[in-house]
Amino acid sequence: MAGTIRAQYPTSLRTVLVPCTGRVGVDMVMRAFGRGADGVLIVG
Amino acid sequence: MLEADRNENIEILSYSDVVNVEGYIGNFRVKVKRNARFVSEEKCTGCGACTEACPIYVPNYFDENLSARKCIDIAFAQAVPAISDIVRDSCVECFACVDACDTEAIDFSQQDEIMEIEVGTIIVATGWDLYQGDDYGYGTYENVITQIQLERILAPNGPTFGHLKRPSDRKRPKKILFINCVGSRDLNTNEYCSVVCCNLSVKNSKLIMSEYPDSEIVVSYIDMRCGGKMYEEYYRRARNAGIVFVKGLIGKIEEDPLTKNLKVEFEAVGTDMMLEMEFHMVVLSSASLPSQGTNEIASVMNIEKTSDGFLKERHARLDPINTKVTGIYLAGSCQGQKSIDLAVSQAKGAASSAGIPMKHEEYTMELIRAQPIDERCAKCYKCVEACPFSAISINDEMVIQVDIISCKGCGICEATCPSKAIELAHYKDNQYVAYINELLPIAE
Repeated sequence: MAGTIRAQYPTSLRTVLVPCTGRVGVDMVMRAFGRGADGVLIVG
Repeated sequence: MLEADRNENIEILSYSDVVNVEGYIGNFRVKVKRNARFVSEEKCTGCGACTEACPIYVPNYFDENLSARKCIDIAFAQAVPAISDIVRDSCVECFACVDACDTEAIDFSQQDEIMEIEVGTIIVATGWDLYQGDDYGYGTYENVITQIQLERILAPNGPTFGHLKRPSDRKRPKKILFINCVGSRDLNTNEYCSVVCCNLSVKNSKLIMSEYPDSEIVVSYIDMRCGGKMYEEYYRRARNAGIVFVKGLIGKIEEDPLTKNLKVEFEAVGTDMMLEMEFHMVVLSSASLPSQGTNEIASVMNIEKTSDGFLKERHARLDPINTKVTGIYLAGSCQGQKSIDLAVSQAKGAASSAGIPMKHEEYTMELIRAQPIDERCAKCYKCVEACPFSAISINDEMVIQVDIISCKGCGICEATCPSKAIELAHYKDNQYVAYINELLPIAE
């Protein structure tokens, strides 16, 4: 959706592709925080 | 139905229940329980000799209990297969029918049978049932009937041969009230809209009006929902024909014990008026419910239900025919109440969807599938519970096994596993570790 409407997002955003939001585990989220991410957005 | 019966590629297993489904697209193994009907399908010719011999009368369920039939009878004139059907609960086992039968088709010793069949794809079309609560005196007051009972009364092969007669005294009701949304759009019963009842009220009131122009018909509604092709025009024509549509809130209904007429108090919304009117008959547009065996069929086939109790499609907007199990499709009201045209469209869609893999004899899938690693597995079996597709099973040696055809590659098992003993091909944990580390470098 964001792509089709040509939505802009800040350059500080990093995207991680997952097959399904179910694949996202606590360890992945914590790793991102541990490495300095200010927030994690799980979008599906 | 008769056409389906005559088609050599179609086998009808009537009066049967699906008790178990195993396997996957192309290789479903289905166990069907053939309920004992005590009449042999091969031997019965539908001659009706048993019906004449039977001394017991029971309510006719096909006529919504508005008429009587014999305990052994053919369910209705067009029934397929056209063989006798025994209402076993009311049978007194006098065996008069057994003596009357020339072909020795009636066998009271018949047992339920389980048969196993192999099929490639499955279309679920289990339909709907009618809500029959005691709202507005239904079940107590004789002249409060449902739309389906009215359908039977208006049917040429119905209990009154198509003549409009009310149940209490078999006289023509002149003043008729239709009440819409009974058991629907109500948080105490069913939240959903049953979709078809508005048009059903329009149709039946219009039918009565054209046959008996001196009728006085009032339709009380919450909202008239006549969406769809040509339905709004149909509704307008009904209003022009003199049928009164009132946005009304029904207060109370009381039966006059002598005349069996119904005194109705209702508020006409927007007018501040309480109306008190007497009607000869009240027709309830009762809600549509998921059919009786929907829960069983959902658990047997491992398909989901929506909060309204109907079967759930894979995606409400983009994939309304497939279920989450590849190879099982939905058609008609089992997925949610719908008008005939939509049910036909969906059935044709389901037939095409099932036909494509059957014709190709090939099913293509992605190879993103869960892979268990037994050495790391602590046997907590959390993955078995977490899998929404029931693709993970435990074998005889207590080892986790993934059915790669049922598996849809969502990765929930991998996220759930505390000991990282199950991996999703191409989306493994160490790949994500590297991925995130690379995206978020820590300045040394």
